[in-house]
Amino acid sequence: MISRFNAELATAAATAAVGAVTVFGALEYGIGWDMAGPEPGAFPFYIGIMVMLASGATAVKTVANRPVLASREFLDRHRLGRIGVFFGLMTGFVVLSMLIGLYVATVVYVTAAVWWQGGYKPWIGAACGVSAALFFYVVLEKGFQVPLLKGPLEAAFGIY
Amino acid sequence: MENIPSLIYGFGVAVSGYHIGLMIIGVLLGILVGVLPGLGAPNGVSLLLPLTFSMDPVAAIILLTSMYWGALFGGSTTSILFNIPGEPSSVATTFDGYPLAHKGQPTQALSFAFLSAGFGALVGVIVITLLSGWVARFALKFSSPEFFAVYLLAFCSFVGLGGSSPFKSMVSIGFGFSFAAVGMDSVSGSLRLTYGFDELLGGISFLVAVIGLFGLGELIMTIEEGFELKGIRARISVRDVLKTVVAMPRYWVALLRSAAVGCWMGITPGGPTAASFMSYGLAKRFSKNRDKLGTGEPEGIISPETADHSAGTCAMLPMIALGVPGSATAAVMMGGLMIWGLNPGPMLFVERPDFVWGLIASMYLGNVVAVVLVLATVPLFASILRIPFAIIGPIIVVTCFIGAYTVGNKGFDLSLALAFGVIGYVFKKLDYPIAPLVLAMVIGDKAEDAFRQSMIMSGGNLSIFWSNGLVATLTGGALILAFWPLITAGISRVATVIRGASDREVA
Repeated sequence: MISRFNAELATAAATAAVGAVTVFGALEYGIGWDMAGPEPGAFPFYIGIMVMLASGATAVKTVANRPVLASREFLDRHRLGRIGVFFGLMTGFVVLSMLIGLYVATVVYVTAAVWWQGGYKPWIGAACGVSAALFFYVVLEKGFQVPLLKGPLEAAFGIY
Repeated sequence: MENIPSLIYGFGVAVSGYHIGLMIIGVLLGILVGVLPGLGAPNGVSLLLPLTFSMDPVAAIILLTSMYWGALFGGSTTSILFNIPGEPSSVATTFDGYPLAHKGQPTQALSFAFLSAGFGALVGVIVITLLSGWVARFALKFSSPEFFAVYLLAFCSFVGLGGSSPFKSMVSIGFGFSFAAVGMDSVSGSLRLTYGFDELLGGISFLVAVIGLFGLGELIMTIEEGFELKGIRARISVRDVLKTVVAMPRYWVALLRSAAVGCWMGITPGGPTAASFMSYGLAKRFSKNRDKLGTGEPEGIISPETADHSAGTCAMLPMIALGVPGSATAAVMMGGLMIWGLNPGPMLFVERPDFVWGLIASMYLGNVVAVVLVLATVPLFASILRIPFAIIGPIIVVTCFIGAYTVGNKGFDLSLALAFGVIGYVFKKLDYPIAPLVLAMVIGDKAEDAFRQSMIMSGGNLSIFWSNGLVATLTGGALILAFWPLITAGISRVATVIRGASDREVA
């Protein structure tokens, strides 16, 4: 579905863009020479240039190798679907964590992932989720005194 | 030979009930992350590091290095029993380890792996003991241009010897330096590359990057492959272990050759993965059993395992003596040293001899503890792998994100880890090397400082990198390494031309 050729080219374009963003950001701080030596932007500027040149070289090599790379597959529909679901769930976990805290998000995420992607019964998922959250609570908050991000639910129960 | 008293002093620092307890915990956690898919040595250490912020540095480094040894052993376990490398550096172990286990000799396969790994690590520690003081004393002569040349040498060896496309290595290195530059500039104090995001003012933590790149990236890979484990049941019988111990000396050539390869690749930052492949390749070319390699030949297990562990151990030498880590995991640990307020490099030997020699002494002990523990617990950890990935996967995901949060207690780091996960997945699929990115992130500021100091010293003239014999040798070596593929191609072309010419003369 996605060929290696397209994936290589898209990645090279993306890395070149990161290089360009670095160069652009570095220009803001000066790339020349001032009283104290090289200005703060100088080093990132040349690094950004190097990334752009190397990305360009990768793109050229990719185009030169087009017949071979175009026939090689990077991802098929089936695999794309699998990682799509996995990635979607992870993104959901991150968003939920910011809103309602890491513990509750852990319960929700593990339950959903084990149930939907794993194909287990929902109560098995919930059991995994609750035990994972409890495990982290005991180890981190009690064992190492490292507090995690908490939300309104913990506050309602008086856990800080 | 002033190293021996130092080492004895180090044992005095390292040997205590508390430290041995930490070693056991570290090794067990290490085997666990080595066995579990998606968790390896670099990000296992990254996950544990935030919990050591308040610990004494000696205790903390013992915990982290023990975890590293455990992870290396755990990675070999899955290679042999499941044909799935738990670590990139144990890929070569699958070539003969799994066939031997499949033939009904899992105990022998595992014992060969662990014993040769232990041997490799021991050689590595001896090399460190003998050389580290000397290297550090030598490096005390370094000033900024020399340090920058050493960093350059490290990165050039990735470009020239890394095995993947040199341009992709350069992109990876450039990414690392760019990420390292975000936030406060340590020389001028101004804020750079934040693009108006307040969250970026504090910079991007390399720990979050490692957790995303190695942990989440690896998990996405695993999900894509559709994870299914077909393991071989392992029950360790003491008699089989002893039989293997007796058989080991027969393979002394392979052991020594592989240890030498490992030490070389560990000190020059080639890393354990390259070392294990190179060692297997050498066995394939020079071993008298070379025809049997790939079918479950002990030499095919011994070669990569010895090299893997001696490289992993030797990677610590340039880290403590020069401040240039030899592998991704060593890079993470070096970042840890800086967080604990230590200054990796030659001055460490002067300022904190207790730390340096305690660490070196703990490596001897830690590896013995690791070999014993891993033999004792293999059946237990193999059974963990029988838990379906559909259940263990989401729990590993949560572990990674919680680890990323504990680095700086910032919600924003969760999104960063996710983004690094995508980068890690794409880079891995397209053969961009990830270790140089991590290395560049950890030593980015130091390399930039060294460069800027050099420029200030010379008034902006690049010729300072050629100004004396030492720095010129380092810079020259770096350039040779960077263009190594071109040089070897050139040599072989010249050789064919000469051979062609002489053939014609004969005809």
